[in-house]
Amino acid sequence: MCDAARDRDLLRTLQARLALAVRSASQQVTKMDVQETTAACRDAFAELASPACIHDPYPFMRWLREHDPVHRAASGLFLLSRHADIYWALKATGDAFRGPAPGELARYFPRAATSLSLNLLASTLAMKDPPTHTRLRRLISRDFTMRQIDDLRPGIARIVAARLDGMAPALERGEAVDLHREFALALPMLVFAELFGMPQDDMFGLAAGIGAILEGLSPHASDPQLAAADAASARVKAYFGGLIQRKRTDPRHDIVSMLVGAHDDDADTLSDAELISMLWGMLLGGFATTAATIDHAVLAMLAYPEQRHWLQGDAVGVKAFVEEVLRCDAPAMFSSIPRIAQRDIELGGVVIPKKADVRVLIASGNRDPDAFADPDRFEPARFYGTSPGMSTDGKIMLSFGHGIHFCLGAQLARVQLAESLPRIQARFPTLALAEQPIREPSAFLRTFRALPVRLHAQGS
Amino acid sequence: MRVVVDQDLCGTSGQCVLTLPGTFCQREPDGVAEVCVATVPQALHAAVRLAASQCPVAAIRVIESDAGDDERASADPAPSPEEVERHAARDQRNPGGHDGTV
Repeated sequence: MCDAARDRDLLRTLQARLALAVRSASQQVTKMDVQETTAACRDAFAELASPACIHDPYPFMRWLREHDPVHRAASGLFLLSRHADIYWALKATGDAFRGPAPGELARYFPRAATSLSLNLLASTLAMKDPPTHTRLRRLISRDFTMRQIDDLRPGIARIVAARLDGMAPALERGEAVDLHREFALALPMLVFAELFGMPQDDMFGLAAGIGAILEGLSPHASDPQLAAADAASARVKAYFGGLIQRKRTDPRHDIVSMLVGAHDDDADTLSDAELISMLWGMLLGGFATTAATIDHAVLAMLAYPEQRHWLQGDAVGVKAFVEEVLRCDAPAMFSSIPRIAQRDIELGGVVIPKKADVRVLIASGNRDPDAFADPDRFEPARFYGTSPGMSTDGKIMLSFGHGIHFCLGAQLARVQLAESLPRIQARFPTLALAEQPIREPSAFLRTFRALPVRLHAQGS
Repeated sequence: MRVVVDQDLCGTSGQCVLTLPGTFCQREPDGVAEVCVATVPQALHAAVRLAASQCPVAAIRVIESDAGDDERASADPAPSPEEVERHAARDQRNPGGHDGTV
């Protein structure tokens, strides 16, 4: 059923392209540039789901920044695409923007009454405002302090080495290996299995449903996509229900045991629904995004061999490379949670009315030339020796967000990347693409279905 | 120079600890940021201002000393002593989680 929706989108896009081509030909226009293809775009979210944008969304994002930076989509959603506007909106979350009030959920999620996924989303940390947000975030923050994450580093390094060892025999036989599945996705899943105190096989089973859930949460998801998401969410919810029971009777040193303990000490501190939603939210936020960034980092290594030296020196160089990968390809391209305007807000000559749902196109802000000079160029030097997430010009890289909802797992993701990339480089210096990687046709999550790699034959 | 973290506002992102691990740390039970030095040495003044400007929720206040600080006119002007005291005393509780510095 998802395929049917995709086919329909594809057909619509092809029809639009065909109409344009005919018109262009009749006007003897030889160049089909981005401006023409999108001048009639009424809905940026639909355009982001088009095959052209799945292949390369950045020309469209440039057009949006230059011509429609405070875009109003057909659905009424607003989409901000300039760095300065996004940065402001993220910092103003909790103040000028808030999540939907409990009684307003139906207004912003008309399907929430019947959708488990949307209900779970409504209870996650990302949808909460202070003081509830503060209470919940501080419960979980103890496991994500910089010291805690640093303590995970040796364990992460061991998983990285083991996964690379596992890939080596096939690669050395000259075979192609899917780096996305065998490494990029496996690493964050194994790290999470440890953090959550879950058997690895259980984690691999749960992770299979994550893509469907993420697609169902997209603002333009079809009813069948939402139904598929709900089926996957029901499996996740049932699994976590059982896991919570097991941790209650046999607590260990893991995040789930800690949260169950907090819940059992005081249900006002953490309700049942909040506990399940929190675990569900971490599952959604944690893997697919990290895997996508590992994929993009490896692609950057292969595409820009002259930049590989950053991965061969000290930690400062590795950090610069990681931040530049995060900037160039934000895995979550726009914000998935509603930010509701608490008053009329004028931005760039456009009035966003009170109660409007405002989303931010993070991937576009990261490519805004007003924030990052020559933004389409891959240049780790922008982040060399800086505070993580800030460029040498003092601009914030937006992929982890900003403001009260700043990504809880940001440092965990950074450490996984920093422990991976130099080891991939050292272990497989002749790594190359075996064939073109296959993109996931998602408007929201810029990632891959497969990233087939092989080793260059020596001397060829 | 002194530096104060508004612990009601702190979003526990740990960005300040990454920027200046010797100056900021996170409380064990809840990840809230703390300042672990009484005064900030001259060599770190610029870095502290940077950490303040980078804090995702603007919870870090820099209090420039009065005497002979020639960096006063830089990016982060010092708040008034009254404002500093308000924040230090944490009596400016704002249920919105923001203090207008958006």
